[in-house]
Amino acid sequence: MRSIRARLVATICGFGVLLLAALVIAPVVGSTSISLARAFDRSTPFADNPDAQIFFVARLPRVLAAALVGSLLAVAGVVLQALLRNPLATPDTLGVSSGAALGAMIAITFHLDVSVAGVSSIPLASFLGSILALSVVYALSSARRRGLSTMVLLLGGVTMQSFFSAVILFLQYLADFTETGRTLRWLMGTLDVGSYAPIVAVLPVVVVAFGIVSTLSRPLDLISLGADAAAARGVDVLRSERLALISASLCTAAAVALAGPVGFIGLVVPHLVRLVVGSDHRLVLPASALFGAAFLIACDLVARTAFSPLELPVGIVTALIGGPFFLWLLLRAAR
Amino acid sequence: MTRTLPAWRRAFMFSVWRKAFVLSVWRKAFVFFLWRRALALRWLPAVIIPSVLLLGCSATPSRERAAGASAPRPQRIISLIPAATEMIFAMGDGNRIVGVSNYDRFPADATKLPKVGGLLDPNVERIIDLRPDLVIVYATQRELLERLDRAHLPYFSYEHRALPDITQTIRAIGVRIGSADRANALASSMEQSLAEIRAATAALPHPTTLLVFGRDPGTLRSMYVSGGYGFLHDMLEIAGGTNVFADVGRQSVQATTEMLIARRPEVVIELHYGDKAKAADAEKDLAVWNALASIPAVRNHLLHVLVGDEFVVPGPRVVEGTRELAKTLHPETFK
Amino acid sequence: MLQVDSVSFGYRADRPVLGDVTFAVEPGSLVGILGPNGSGKTTLLKVLAGAIAPSTGTVRIDGRRLSEWPRREIARRVAFVPQDTHPPFDFSVLEIVLMGRYPHLGTFALEGPADLAIARQALASTGTSAFESRPFTTLSGGERQRVVIAGALAQSPQWLLLDEPTGSLDIGHQLEIQELLRRLNRDHAVTMVLSTHDLNFAAALCRDLILLQNGRIIAQGPTADVLRPDTVRMLYGVEADIRPHPRAGHLTVTPIARVR
Repeated sequence: MRSIRARLVATICGFGVLLLAALVIAPVVGSTSISLARAFDRSTPFADNPDAQIFFVARLPRVLAAALVGSLLAVAGVVLQALLRNPLATPDTLGVSSGAALGAMIAITFHLDVSVAGVSSIPLASFLGSILALSVVYALSSARRRGLSTMVLLLGGVTMQSFFSAVILFLQYLADFTETGRTLRWLMGTLDVGSYAPIVAVLPVVVVAFGIVSTLSRPLDLISLGADAAAARGVDVLRSERLALISASLCTAAAVALAGPVGFIGLVVPHLVRLVVGSDHRLVLPASALFGAAFLIACDLVARTAFSPLELPVGIVTALIGGPFFLWLLLRAAR
Repeated sequence: MTRTLPAWRRAFMFSVWRKAFVLSVWRKAFVFFLWRRALALRWLPAVIIPSVLLLGCSATPSRERAAGASAPRPQRIISLIPAATEMIFAMGDGNRIVGVSNYDRFPADATKLPKVGGLLDPNVERIIDLRPDLVIVYATQRELLERLDRAHLPYFSYEHRALPDITQTIRAIGVRIGSADRANALASSMEQSLAEIRAATAALPHPTTLLVFGRDPGTLRSMYVSGGYGFLHDMLEIAGGTNVFADVGRQSVQATTEMLIARRPEVVIELHYGDKAKAADAEKDLAVWNALASIPAVRNHLLHVLVGDEFVVPGPRVVEGTRELAKTLHPETFK
Repeated sequence: MLQVDSVSFGYRADRPVLGDVTFAVEPGSLVGILGPNGSGKTTLLKVLAGAIAPSTGTVRIDGRRLSEWPRREIARRVAFVPQDTHPPFDFSVLEIVLMGRYPHLGTFALEGPADLAIARQALASTGTSAFESRPFTTLSGGERQRVVIAGALAQSPQWLLLDEPTGSLDIGHQLEIQELLRRLNRDHAVTMVLSTHDLNFAAALCRDLILLQNGRIIAQGPTADVLRPDTVRMLYGVEADIRPHPRAGHLTVTPIARVR
């Protein structure tokens, strides 16, 4: 077996090349054909250059957002699967996405129109909703003196999800139908950010979350063998679990604020990656981040070209791919 | 006339009603699955939405159905549809209406009438309690029609698709309530006015126009525009504009940044509902369009905000709406 | 030298799991903590490993209190083998053993050739070198236990704590582990403290015993002194016949009847 260092380098290079290819190809392909030469032609002023406009204003932010969201969700999936010691956990398991959905629905139903740093009210509200959900789950699971029980975490998360969904149902009755329609569309996920402002706004959260996750890669391996064994090996289990919960939730919150809840990335990508690199989290985490980005860029490409000129919400594409995959995983696990 | 409720977009409602009431059969299951387990079973909408889209695009002609023996001149009419209410009042028979829906806002007399609920959840008890001899409903509300059948209440149902259906419905309602002459006169006068507008703009150049009826404030995301079908599209064409999405045969299209840049509309008209204060905010919000500087509408500052219910209610006031659109597009011709 | 002084612990204030436990373990010994289910054996081991902090009392290694040691330092000296290991992911055997090197590495450090060599050596000492690239979940119970022990050995510990090392194994695998532990203790000078409820296993392997009942020590000392019919009766409520076995070379315990 090659040394971990060699495998890490190979993993990052391999998946990095994949992501690079996606980043280069995706902005060029779309429902409108554009010419790269014209897009980069400096002689025409930007305002008169539709190819440049499409490339830089419509597609490039979209591809970057797809990369970011895919990366965030994949990493959140890996961390939560390790934290809950369950390979079928997803970023939605702990109710953070439902909190985001509730926040967005409140913003839509009550027409909150606040804009901060180029980010409109719905992403802001959804982010706050996720943080609220996280706080409740965190408080629930920390109530025990001995620390984070994964059972309590799971139950708390599922309860939060049901509760938020019930509140959403209630709000739906208050709302008129257009507001419900808008919420439904938001729930399907869309990557058409239209500008770099939301991406820039979410970057600090991403940096913090990824920073925390990078310190957790080895502890997650150890914790997955058993909390006692990990503690006996010098892992601060409680602190690691708390950081894992917070960082995974921050990743999910940022991703949902940017693009609405996009499903199945957090489930599909970690498993695909594990098939290639094994289960060592020091390999799985960077690989998932890179592959998740490339994967969502590809899904978004399908979403915006399959039914041209109409666009499918990207959440539908990931669901159509992820649903059957999820079933296959279940069948495989059952055997 | 008071407009104190937050914005509700009837045009979008109408365009989505068709889909909504096909959904109503599945609605309970759909709502249950989507909201209660939205994030776990996200593949379900992936199955429902395409079939809904297919049904929504089918071109079933508008039809009327009447049921049950009833008086030739009903004296106690309940209208669940604001457009029908306006039609009946415009015919001069408003005094025969005894109940309206929660969304009725025009004319002022209608707001004083008892309210029997919304379109999705009308209060059938209250309907029965008012002892109507005719209930005007929308044809896709199948559950409601069944309940009215069971209560032996006669009803008149209709559907509309485009502008000509409005006058057709006025005549049909007129026949049904025994005011055929007045209805005919109203319809003819509407058709006359529209023809005049059409003639006035016939010789003028028709700029490519984007007709926006919904978007998230502060950003260009979640933008819903009129497609090449429906009464808004017809109003635009009569008013002397070419719908930039005329090739897409749907009432509403979600326009992404890429589509907007590619289609290069020469004029952008945003439709808003609510009071004049909302109009001022909406004008300020037009600044977000500057991100798409290559669109001729932005370059030439041809961005307009129109406020009013006449764009949402497919009733007699579409004439005013069309006139306003014409004035916006061709200010020199329409003083 | 491992010293435990008046250690008490309870998960809840009203229900103590360990009460006033005091004993000492000399380097190089092979001590068994014997007691019925629920007597607090696992908890005691976790306290010794530093995974749990006692409510009262102290644990000292080489004179220094455990609470004063940084966690990783403890882990470099003391290794803990849990009763069962069920990883939810498909780690290979070598990956599992390499995790034992964690206390010796920094946060972002990766295992180098020296660590790999130590891991392979640990596999060799437990006779599991052949399984190096196989997924852990494909091994049998005995093989898994040997791999987990190898993982503990990879920590290069001076003290090895084992929780019911043969709890779920058949007698064939039990003897395997027994032999392994004896060999490690004798040839590699690894001091061991293990917990078990299996009297015969304890009699066969351990030179010293600590009898634990309801969190309290009722007897401790060399096996021959401690393992007597009256202590067995007190501990398990069982009338047993204890005699040295000529061929096996150690005491054997044969239960006769249940008594109250």
